[in-house]
Amino acid sequence: MKRRLSVLLVAISTGLAVGSYSEAAQRPRYGGTLRVEIGAVVNSIDPSTPAASPEEAAAKEEICSLLYERRNSDGTFAGVAGSGAFRIAEWEPGKHLTLEANPDYRGGRAFVDSVEIEMGKTSRDRLLDLEVGKTDFAEIPPEEVRRASDASVRVSASRPDELLSIVFTAGRPLAEDAHAREALARSIDRAAIANFILQKEGEATGGLLPQWSSGTAFLFPPAVDATAAKSLWTQIAGSPRILLGYDANDSLEQSVAERIVVNARDVGIDVAAAAKQGLATNYDATLVRFRLTSPHPAMALARLAAALAPLTGANVDPLAEEAPPQRVYDYERALVNSYRIVPLIWLPRAYGLSLRVRNWNVPAPGEGWPFADVWLGDAQ
Amino acid sequence: MTFRTKLFVLFMVALLLSVGVVAVGVTVVTRQAFQESNRAHSEALVAQFEREFERHKQDIVHRVQGIADAEATVRMAIDLSRPKSDVSVYVNDARGVSQSHQLDFLDFAGDDGSIISSNEWPARFGYKIDWLTQPQDWASLGAFLMKVDAPDGPVLGLMSVSVVRVGDKNLYVLGGERLDKDFLASLVLPSGMRALLYMDLDPNFQAANLVDPSGPVLQADRFASFVEQERQQPATRTFKISWTPDASSAESFHALPLLGRQGELLGALLVGNSQREVVLLERRILLLAAGVAAMGLLFGLILSWWGAARVTRPVRKLSEGARQVSEGNWGTRVNVRGRNEIGQLALAFNRMTEQLSEQRERLVQAERVAAWRELARRLAHELKNPLFPLQTTVENLQRAKEQSPEQFDEVFRESTGILLSEIENLKKIVGRFSDFAKMPQPEFAPVNLNDTVRGVVKLFESQFGAVGRPPITSELHLDEEPPTIQADEALVRRAIENLVLNAMDAMPAGGVLMLRTTHQNGEVDLEVSDTGTGLTPEECDRLFTPYYTTKHHGTGLGLAIVQSVVSDHGGRISVESEAGVGTSFHIHLPAKPPVRSTSAPVEAAIAEGA
Repeated sequence: MKRRLSVLLVAISTGLAVGSYSEAAQRPRYGGTLRVEIGAVVNSIDPSTPAASPEEAAAKEEICSLLYERRNSDGTFAGVAGSGAFRIAEWEPGKHLTLEANPDYRGGRAFVDSVEIEMGKTSRDRLLDLEVGKTDFAEIPPEEVRRASDASVRVSASRPDELLSIVFTAGRPLAEDAHAREALARSIDRAAIANFILQKEGEATGGLLPQWSSGTAFLFPPAVDATAAKSLWTQIAGSPRILLGYDANDSLEQSVAERIVVNARDVGIDVAAAAKQGLATNYDATLVRFRLTSPHPAMALARLAAALAPLTGANVDPLAEEAPPQRVYDYERALVNSYRIVPLIWLPRAYGLSLRVRNWNVPAPGEGWPFADVWLGDAQ
Repeated sequence: MTFRTKLFVLFMVALLLSVGVVAVGVTVVTRQAFQESNRAHSEALVAQFEREFERHKQDIVHRVQGIADAEATVRMAIDLSRPKSDVSVYVNDARGVSQSHQLDFLDFAGDDGSIISSNEWPARFGYKIDWLTQPQDWASLGAFLMKVDAPDGPVLGLMSVSVVRVGDKNLYVLGGERLDKDFLASLVLPSGMRALLYMDLDPNFQAANLVDPSGPVLQADRFASFVEQERQQPATRTFKISWTPDASSAESFHALPLLGRQGELLGALLVGNSQREVVLLERRILLLAAGVAAMGLLFGLILSWWGAARVTRPVRKLSEGARQVSEGNWGTRVNVRGRNEIGQLALAFNRMTEQLSEQRERLVQAERVAAWRELARRLAHELKNPLFPLQTTVENLQRAKEQSPEQFDEVFRESTGILLSEIENLKKIVGRFSDFAKMPQPEFAPVNLNDTVRGVVKLFESQFGAVGRPPITSELHLDEEPPTIQADEALVRRAIENLVLNAMDAMPAGGVLMLRTTHQNGEVDLEVSDTGTGLTPEECDRLFTPYYTTKHHGTGLGLAIVQSVVSDHGGRISVESEAGVGTSFHIHLPAKPPVRSTSAPVEAAIAEGA
């Protein structure tokens, strides 16, 4: 209850409402079912069971953040399922999950009585359902934000906290060639990707941390250097082809991969984009999304490096999560200059909300969906 | 080969040639007619295909123009004409518009040719299509072919460009259809026709670039040479491919080059027309013609056989008649009716045999008279010689009786001796004539001719070296294994003796007498040669005539007897002589004497031959 009050106070005082809704003038109410649609298909909500895809893993983490009371320092969930703001009421793996408010939750009972989560919904269906009021909450791909806004869907987007990058696979001949890595990195027009594919809902980047986090992103300009790229590529013997893998279920990755192919071909680099099948080691490079788990730059960079190290094979010293900014910059510079990780775009998290959703606050990096703080008002 | 067979063969050859010429003529004319018809049909189909292709072009032009005229496109053009307009909002527009207009390719390009939105390659936004901004009357150009860059590589497209102009800014709409198997499948083609597309996307012929409505073409390599020709020199050309040894599998193709805006070759459309129906129809006609020809040949065969028999029947009658005449049947007649050449020939033949019979009869009578005259002359000559001494002796007796009675006894004794001698001579002459007249019929028995020859030579051996005459040397060259023949040895011996005697008479100065026997196929040959004075050809011709002799004291019966003996044995005798060199007699005797057969009537013989 204490938390609820604080939320109310914050909402009233800071006016963080999305759009023109004057939630502060309304009193929070309990009850109702929050209808949620997600694209992922979650087959298990046991945190110890590995997910089949990154999309499932991300959705599973969001659901678990609702079921578990807290998280450990390493990101794992503590306690038992149902100790969080919600507990499982109905569970049909891969299709449907109904959560009910946990009255014994230490942080206070959630405003809504239950949350119904429908799985496996395409982005198009989610947008349509939002438009017709069939759902209250749905994830929207960043590249669809503009279209959703044009369709008068209530959209809430976070600060860019998900990095889309090219990660070269350790052990592959071309991936081990520094000239090849740098040539490809310098050939990519990241701004065009951000402006056209993401419809300006992302940020082109040459660094591994967002500007809002590190404040040094401007030191990693994402400029295209076609001349250097051509020169570097011509130093490679033979007529190699870089095989670039992307997630077959991710249309954004596919679009970006195709654009990379076009950019690379423009400077004479032969790149073939293909949907990933099997192990990532089958490809010279893959498109990888990494969502920041902390707004703290050192912590975020350390986790990013640790997460991608198995793929890149980079043998770098671990970064202390309390490292000073200079150390963070040097560390980032070293990683960027190795060209084993080629940062492309920072993506925001975007959500579509129905008009009856109140007290919605965009979650910060490392936080889950704040459904416990949301209450449902009138649709008008 | 008989005349009838030859005639039959001639008829058949003539018939075969005639039928062959007609068959070949019909075949050639039929084939030319079919080829002409097929060519016209193919050209009509190709023309229909070209119309269909042109219709597709127009359809694409209309669809692209429709997109350009659409309100959304015009709004886009207006928006883009503004300063600092945001083109990124249109980056995905091409996909939806192309789907609604059923176009494979659709690009929106800005005033500078930069791609705003692309359906076939969405990731190419921002890149420029340089040729798009060059001065060109796109409306009059219509649809054209071009290589379109796609993520998987270049493909062929049938494209059209429309321009939306707002103010001084252009918005280019470049759309079209992909030329592939689906495009071919969309074409409405007549039955028996198919369209193949070769996309000239690689430096060399690639089988994978040749497709039909169902996908890659089977046995595509068969097209390689033709496609290569098209690549070297683009032009409309025709060719034919037989897929199997069966001619009905053949397919004729019209190759139509597909050229781009600049006249460059981008591919070739191969319009195929199956020859199956034409070939099968041609075969049916040829089969029918062959059947008719076979029936004609069979009918001609029978007719030729019958005609040849009918035509040659009188000829064979004439031939049989001639054969009987040659065998001495002088009274042979042929029964041929008709007024044609054969009938006239038969009449002439009959007249000839009739005249021959008459002349032979006259000749026999003449020879008989001549023989009697010769006999009388010879008899007179032979008898006159002894008569003169007889007369002289009797006159001497009379003269001695009258003038010298004291010497009469002595004269009487001498004269009676002479008379007796001459009378004996007369008896011998009469005896020889009598012997010739009494030549017996041969009695045949197995005879070894070598033994007979040796016996004769042994008989005359003493005379060859008699005192007072030049010696004669005898040489025997007898066959080592002479066959036994059926003969009358006494008559054969007598004949050989006569020949030896003649040889001795021909060699008054001595010489060599050679006797040689040989055999072949059971028949034997005897040669008796001398090195005497020889005979003139005239003497040789008359040598076997009875009572003809070249000697002062000969009767002229010796060689006549020899010829008579040889003839009775069914043999032959001939003579070769050269004056001053010598004479050779050759006697050929068969193993068995012939059985004298009676000649069959001509009609019967012909009947058997028929």
